[in-house]
Amino acid sequence: MAEEVVLAARTIGLDIAGIDLVTDDISRPLSETHGAIVEVNAGPGLLMHLKPASGEPRDVGSAIVDHLYPGGSNGRIPLVGICGIHKSAPVAQLVAHLLGVAGHKVGMATTQGLTIDRRLLEAGDGTRRDIAHRLLRNRAVEAAVIESPPTTIANEGMAYDWCQVGIVTDFDPAYALADGYLDSPEQIWTVMRTQVDVVLEEGVAVLNAHEPMIVSMAELCIGSVIFYATDPALDVVSQHRASGGRAVVLDGQEVVLLTGSQREVLADLGTSLAGGHWRGTMEPSSLLAAVGAALGIGMPRDRLIAGIQSFVPVLSRLAPSPAPARRSASDAPLPDPNKVTGRDR
Amino acid sequence: MELERVRALRGPNLWTRRTAIEALVKCTPAETEVDRIPGFEAALRERFPQMDEWHIEGSNEAVPLARILQLATLGLQASAGCPVTFSLTTPTIDPGIYQVVVEYTEEAVGRKALTFASELCQAALAGQPFDATAAIEALHDLDEDIRLGPSTGSIVDAAVARGIPFRRLTDGSLVQFGWGSRARRIQAAEIDSTSAIAESIAQDKELSKNLLEAAGVPVPSGRAVRTIEQAWEAMQALGGRVVVKPQDGNQGKGVTVNIATREQLEQAWAAALEFSSNLLVERYIPGHDFRMLVVGDKLVAAARREPPFVIGDGVHTVAELVAEVNRDPRRGTGHATSLTRIRLDDIAIARLAQQELTAESIPPQGQRVVLRNNANLSTGGTATDVTDEVHPDVAARAVEAARAVGLEVCGVDVVCRTVFAPLEQQAGGIVEVNAAPGLRMHLSPSFGKGRAVGEAIVTTLFGPDDDGRIPVVAVTGTNGKTTTAKLIARILEASGRRVGTTGTDGVHIGSRVLDTGDCSGPKSARSVLLHPDVDAAVLETARGGILREGLGFDRCSVAVVTNIGQGDHLGLNYINTVEDLAVLKRVVVQNVAPNGAAVLNADDPLVAQMAEFCPGEVIFFGGAMPTTGDLDGLSLLAFERARGRRVVFRRNGHIIACHGETEVAIDLARVPLTLGGAIGFQVENVMAAVAAAWAIGIDWETIRSALVGFVSDAATAPGRFNLMDYRGAKLIADYGHNPDAMLALVNAVAALPARRRSVVISGAGDRRDEDIIAQTRILGAAFDDVILYQDAAQRGRADGEVLGLLRRGLEGAKRTSYVAEIRGEFAAIDQALARLETGDLCLILVDQVEEALAYLADKVRPAAAAGPASEVAAPGATTA
Repeated sequence: MAEEVVLAARTIGLDIAGIDLVTDDISRPLSETHGAIVEVNAGPGLLMHLKPASGEPRDVGSAIVDHLYPGGSNGRIPLVGICGIHKSAPVAQLVAHLLGVAGHKVGMATTQGLTIDRRLLEAGDGTRRDIAHRLLRNRAVEAAVIESPPTTIANEGMAYDWCQVGIVTDFDPAYALADGYLDSPEQIWTVMRTQVDVVLEEGVAVLNAHEPMIVSMAELCIGSVIFYATDPALDVVSQHRASGGRAVVLDGQEVVLLTGSQREVLADLGTSLAGGHWRGTMEPSSLLAAVGAALGIGMPRDRLIAGIQSFVPVLSRLAPSPAPARRSASDAPLPDPNKVTGRDR
Repeated sequence: MELERVRALRGPNLWTRRTAIEALVKCTPAETEVDRIPGFEAALRERFPQMDEWHIEGSNEAVPLARILQLATLGLQASAGCPVTFSLTTPTIDPGIYQVVVEYTEEAVGRKALTFASELCQAALAGQPFDATAAIEALHDLDEDIRLGPSTGSIVDAAVARGIPFRRLTDGSLVQFGWGSRARRIQAAEIDSTSAIAESIAQDKELSKNLLEAAGVPVPSGRAVRTIEQAWEAMQALGGRVVVKPQDGNQGKGVTVNIATREQLEQAWAAALEFSSNLLVERYIPGHDFRMLVVGDKLVAAARREPPFVIGDGVHTVAELVAEVNRDPRRGTGHATSLTRIRLDDIAIARLAQQELTAESIPPQGQRVVLRNNANLSTGGTATDVTDEVHPDVAARAVEAARAVGLEVCGVDVVCRTVFAPLEQQAGGIVEVNAAPGLRMHLSPSFGKGRAVGEAIVTTLFGPDDDGRIPVVAVTGTNGKTTTAKLIARILEASGRRVGTTGTDGVHIGSRVLDTGDCSGPKSARSVLLHPDVDAAVLETARGGILREGLGFDRCSVAVVTNIGQGDHLGLNYINTVEDLAVLKRVVVQNVAPNGAAVLNADDPLVAQMAEFCPGEVIFFGGAMPTTGDLDGLSLLAFERARGRRVVFRRNGHIIACHGETEVAIDLARVPLTLGGAIGFQVENVMAAVAAAWAIGIDWETIRSALVGFVSDAATAPGRFNLMDYRGAKLIADYGHNPDAMLALVNAVAALPARRRSVVISGAGDRRDEDIIAQTRILGAAFDDVILYQDAAQRGRADGEVLGLLRRGLEGAKRTSYVAEIRGEFAAIDQALARLETGDLCLILVDQVEEALAYLADKVRPAAAAGPASEVAAPGATTA
């Protein structure tokens, strides 16, 4: 019986079908009961299965989702989110470039514009939720890099729910949002931590180890954490390594991945990365952030070096992020990160 | 003249590979030589001047009216525009009766042409009027109505050129390509992988635009409006000229472009409301309308479309100029022709008013008078091919637009000044995407060259080397068809394919029974080829179906002809001799694919002669192969083997498949169906099946394992040499019912040791007298007891007539000492069983197969339970 019904759907060519049949006994083959399939419907109503008048409800929604995304896949594409105040834009560009080298058609939304596969779709602030969202609706996009400055997060929320990699590049205690309601470092911290909150369980937060306000976000991450630092001797890095964590550091001229007690040299600023466009556009710390993100997304090592070497900014003018609105001259003391209360996730 | 019977031959048939109408025509004696009726030819040509020449130069042969009917049926169709060329008339053995065969491309047109031709003949004879022009126009209109439209037709033509089979599923444009599990479907320019959701998106212009914008495709800004006031606000906000269109329209219905004033907006509003209450107001992009056709991820054609216009001559009115343009034969009323007529309706009048003209105005010489703002072909527009000029960036945007909406075949409407330059540089934009785009503007544009868009669509459906076919094995012959077909099906199943079979015992898909009874005709074959699960088909192809309707497929991978022998069913339907029968069965061999093979019985001269008609390879099989190295007598098999052809033959206890120096042996001791090689006709069936499997390319291990597991019992092959044990006697039930079958059975039974031998036989009334007599003549030489019976179905014979013939065959029988005549099949079986003793053998030639086998099973079961269990001994491989 079930086989006949499935055959009917296949014969018509429907992958979701409502089959109407008439029979005395649904537990016996149609040939025995002289029953018959009388109609095949596309776009069948599901209510009778979800809320049958009698009998057990059936989880037909799951069956349809499983058909759309077989094998437990979830339809997400690799997504790298970046939050920062002054240093996030170049990181976004380098990460987007690296993902492109890894073979993806990359969409990027930054404060400087919206691009897909290195083509500028829209100049100006591309981090606005509705604009950034275009990347995620676009079937052509295979990987996305989305920059979310505190302004966007506070005013509109992020364009996505979860990401594989969340990077927080820098913190400025003097920064305040223009509207004026969010102006204490503590409040800005609360806004920026969102970037870490949205990291998936299997994802990675890539955090600047030099900035205590960012380091304090590590414990909020349900995924793993990669710290980056231009000083390999930082306590934060040592402690993180002691518990088996990863860090990307600059040790002399060497870009090194530290995992627990292991030390892996990824590149050398004096040799393999001696030249290239990256030098003119970003500080070494931004390079480390991008390397951390690339490792977080699982990029092969050889492509990583080639990617950095071949980097050319898509948006040719890498202007600094919009000038921060300065708070009043009286610099309030920095809040103790440990006192910042977590939010409901 | 009377049309006694009219048939539509819908597949390759006795006469032609093409579809044809076949009429059995009865002429009066005078009508058998109409060329001698004074004034007839003049009368005929007066009524139908296009009539073809019917005299054969230098021949004095009489021309029957049937031939006039043939030529008129063909000529009427040809005059109506149908591409038909084949026709013939052939006399039958009955005087005055002719078979007339005329090709058709649409069955209904063919049938109607035959009717008209018949009326024409009668009218010419009787001196009555006949309006040939009206008849041709009626045929033309009917043909245009039912034949495939230009878009669908172009795709079908492209598929046919690649050897992909097709079949129309409706009178409309729904077409299936390929067979079984490889099949794909299209409906006009929509393909089966086009999702319903993508089509819904394409229908919703606002949503489409949002998605295109998200994908970075330039689109005109605009907004959805519900009232004229909202529309006016939108127009002011957009700041300039606008377009008004229904949110969910197609074919340019209700679209007005280049609106500059409130008054024009109101007119456009009213026009759009006719089609929808959800309207869009968009920025007007000045420039030309272009249509880009995207298939898969490629731009395959682009055309510039122009609204309908006329050019003034200072003499004629606009209305007259339009009428003049519409006289162009390329302009039809619908979608079937390359252009559509210009309509002078309210929209056109309003457009004229903008140019300060009316339909009655006489525009000066050279003035270009535009009659509509939109450029759709369906409202009279024209198209110019610009495919070669499209800038790669423009092409890339069109492809992205199609992908953003999710359409594999997509018509993308672009408005811009030129396609030479990127859209972004000229503020151009994509205004619409269309599912199921019309193809005719690309196939036969008004200006410029046509594009092979059908080919592009076929290529997205089937990979470059894929013809959508599954292996199809057609099995025909007088005897052994069913067993051979079942064996081949078993081997194909063992190779992991899901097999569909048709035959005299029904239609099967794997283990599922789709139909029962005699299903050896084209209708059953087509149902198997249509089934979505079938990976391979084995089609028993009986004579009846070939005669009635032709083959159910255009060509097959393998054609197997088991044997013709002395034939069967001779005398029916003008198949009077075994030679006639061979010509009919040869149809299967004639329609082997060029890369396919015919498997032919080398020992049967009529079958062996079919080889020269096979377009593909021929693999002969047979028993008469001399030992290696010995070309004694130059047997056909030896000759073919020497030529390096594949052959299958029997050598002692083995079946040998030989190709040049390579030989593969199959031990008959491991083929239970043959009882270790004892049953000669089963060995032949196995050889045929092995050759067919070899032709398809199945490996030898699979073939061997399938043969080991194949038994012919009442369950797997009812009525095909089913062996049973009854109280220590051997029972054999078989459906044999012609002299060749009797010979084969007698030979097979001779190989089985037995004390006394008996046979139960009836005769089918629809055989020739001599064939019925021959059966008992053969049996009389081999059986001690012969029990004759007569059952309900006499098939046109008088009571007792068949029994009489059977008895005549026994006159002077060498071995028979006991003859009984019984009424009823079961009673005859009872009588035979009652006489059996241990060690006896009884051959029961069943008539009502299922009923008789069930009856026998009931008899055998209690006997087996009561009596001693004795196996039927398989004799050694001694007989050849």
